Amino acid sequence: MADITDEKSQPPAQPPQQGRRLSDRQKDIIQKFAALGSLVVLAVIFSATSSAFMTVGNGMTIALQVTSIALLGIGATYVIITGGIDLSVGSVLALAGVVAALVVKELQMPIWIGMLCGILTGSACGLINGLIVTQLKLPPFIATLGMMLIARGVALQITGARAVSGLGESFGELGNGSLFRIESIDDMGFPVVSFPGIPYPVVLMIVIGVIAAFVLNRTVLGRYIYAIGSNADAARLSGVNVSRVTAFTYVVSGTLAGLTGCVLMSRLVTAQPNEGVAYELDAIASAVIGGTSLIGGVGTISGTIIGAFVIGILRNGLNMNGVSAFTQQIIIGLVILVTVWIDQLRNRR
Amino acid sequence: MGGMPATAGGIDVRPVVLKLDNVSKEFPGVKALSGVSFDLRAGEVHAVCGENGAGKSTLMKIISGVYQPNGGTVTYKGEPVQFATTLQSEAAGIAIIHQELNLVPHLTVAENIYLAREPRRGWLVDRRRLIADAKRCLDRLGVDIDPNVQVRTLSVAQCQMVEIAKALSLNATVLIMDEPTSSLTEQEAQLLFKVIRDLKAEGTGIIYISHRLDEMAEIVDRVTVLRDGRYISTDDFADLTIDDIVARMVGRSLEDKFPEPTRVPGEDVIFSVSGLTRTGVFSDVSFDIRRGEILGFAGLMGAGRTEVARAIFGADPLDAGTITLDGDALKITDPRSAIEAGIAYLSEDRKAQGLAVKMPVDANLVMARMQAVSNSVGVIDRKQHRDASQRYVDLLNIRTPSLSQPVRLLSGGNQQKIIIGKWLFREPRIMFFDEPTRGIDVGAKFAIYQIMDELAANGIGIVLISSELPEVLGMSDRVAVFHGGRIMATLNTRDTNQEEIMHYASGSGRHAGQG
Repeated sequence: MADITDEKSQPPAQPPQQGRRLSDRQKDIIQKFAALGSLVVLAVIFSATSSAFMTVGNGMTIALQVTSIALLGIGATYVIITGGIDLSVGSVLALAGVVAALVVKELQMPIWIGMLCGILTGSACGLINGLIVTQLKLPPFIATLGMMLIARGVALQITGARAVSGLGESFGELGNGSLFRIESIDDMGFPVVSFPGIPYPVVLMIVIGVIAAFVLNRTVLGRYIYAIGSNADAARLSGVNVSRVTAFTYVVSGTLAGLTGCVLMSRLVTAQPNEGVAYELDAIASAVIGGTSLIGGVGTISGTIIGAFVIGILRNGLNMNGVSAFTQQIIIGLVILVTVWIDQLRNRR
Repeated sequence: MGGMPATAGGIDVRPVVLKLDNVSKEFPGVKALSGVSFDLRAGEVHAVCGENGAGKSTLMKIISGVYQPNGGTVTYKGEPVQFATTLQSEAAGIAIIHQELNLVPHLTVAENIYLAREPRRGWLVDRRRLIADAKRCLDRLGVDIDPNVQVRTLSVAQCQMVEIAKALSLNATVLIMDEPTSSLTEQEAQLLFKVIRDLKAEGTGIIYISHRLDEMAEIVDRVTVLRDGRYISTDDFADLTIDDIVARMVGRSLEDKFPEPTRVPGEDVIFSVSGLTRTGVFSDVSFDIRRGEILGFAGLMGAGRTEVARAIFGADPLDAGTITLDGDALKITDPRSAIEAGIAYLSEDRKAQGLAVKMPVDANLVMARMQAVSNSVGVIDRKQHRDASQRYVDLLNIRTPSLSQPVRLLSGGNQQKIIIGKWLFREPRIMFFDEPTRGIDVGAKFAIYQIMDELAANGIGIVLISSELPEVLGMSDRVAVFHGGRIMATLNTRDTNQEEIMHYASGSGRHAGQG
């Protein structure tokens, strides 16, 4: 009994682990495709039920609607990977938008300076969030909840709770213009649109998405963001400047909120201090649907973009089918629960 | 049969309370246990030995109802059983003391001991009885812990004691102890052994799992060895030597527990600290490290060894004292400045402070020196990243299916090697190893000792903090003995012994000898 050593007593450790690793990767791929697949399924269902869904125009509308969720979602992904949360983005985008509008209208500044002021307002709010979290050591939930109320209050205060309008046609360029638009004037003098072009907000979303994904995957900074979310103590003891990197993620989130605010206000050519209420929840939902873990350490930009499209297509398609806003909320709520549940099943064991 | 009290004519007459017959357990792709048999008599301590991954934990989880076996039978008190949950096995009288502490930090000690089993008066918790009962459990262990304090204020060792008290309060027929001494000091372990002997006398059957084979002689009656999920042997402990057990565990014989030193300690001091003080934690700590030397830190839990190392590393604040490396005074404010200066600290708590366990092997290996695998604007160079991590995987013989394997799926020994690799990549001058072999199996321990010796031979100053005296004596050239936040003595290892170290560690000596 003492020494059983036939060839079977040393089961090679490699094959089972190899198998598990492969199947882990397969699961990852399956999940990515599941999310993409559900997007396709949604699109097929909606185009069957509504003839207006599968048109170039509506596609652009969806993409436009998705941009704000996606931009905020990218910021949310950064923050959530470190194990934090940012509840303030909805209010911050409103503040950034009205700041941009007021700078243009009241100070008579060029539009690009106004927009820049708006974006920097967002960055400043993010920086304050980051400092409160890392220096005062308040929980992110509380820090950004405070900012959510403060930013909204300031936006209402400086506008007297009134919309800022009369900003001029060119204020709407960022939100309504598009790249590669092909237009000609026909014989009768009417414009003919042979290609509607890619709206600037969509271009912005693509460019920022690519940069954000590159930073997260291929740079030292991105590596530190994951490391902090995975184990902040280990990161600190490895020499990572945990405070600075954590604060940076809030600055990213705030800056993107500022940008989103400018884009939204530009589309309406009016700055609304009440814009963006509850957008933070859409941003968090898109990250979570895309596989970002609220515990931290896990998440991708591509997942978040897919999550944003899931929410955008659901809203648009349900609208076109005449589903009431209340029912929409119920359905999106269920989608969040089910996707996160599936994600947890995947990560269990 | 080793002259056990309950043996008569070579036959053990104590009844078998628990019997596992030909038990197997498979997970998708992995055969965790195949055909393991095991029995436990009333009033005996039965040790289960095996390297990490040998199937000990799986076996215990089957006994306690966490897992259900795929094959074989479990018989408890003469009847076949199949527990579906730990609640069922607990109700039947099988208690388990987990390796990981399962306490609720914000509840009091008493509330933890009787969690979900609180004595009641009607709808209310009978607080007076709760405290009294908890006090009785703790007194039985001989530890001085107030049942009214919150668990989060306790040390790891005290938490372990509370965990043990909790298991005792169940009055179990079968008690499973998984590495109960891994965070206890020698003294506290002795208290535990006394309790174990009492329990034996009362007829409790105890299954005992530990990597510290040397301590088993105190309490263990029989020992079962598992290897790679298979049953190897069961013998009376008295019939075996520790070397026999180790040989069966690893499937080969190990001549020595410690490698023959290749380092030659020189005379020149490379690192020295003097007058280090952190109010209320340690005071006036001074020591130096010579080139090619391993300096041991011995002492009881809470004597200040880890605290001194963490303060030198900048992880905790220092109130006074100077730190000198190669003749230059260092100004250390945080771990980054310490790392910059060439100091590395390998934490005693690997999972909590050493590794990002969700991240892959390569990411962890290069974590402390990302600038070496990236360009000036911080973009990672994938080739350098891969080459650097592969180099340390090869150098330290880290067993992993790939560089992208998440670290949490590796064994404790390989995890420890990854932490060592992470610091080696930093090319440190001074390395603090805090309990580097805790919870690591025998083969991996030897490899880590060898690495430490090689590093010292290459001129890196090494401090070994360990609660295992044989390890300190086997691996260090000099030993600084801590007590109550002070160094009581610095001794030459070859001129000292366990008794002398314990003498200083318990605070009986007062003069600071120099080696």
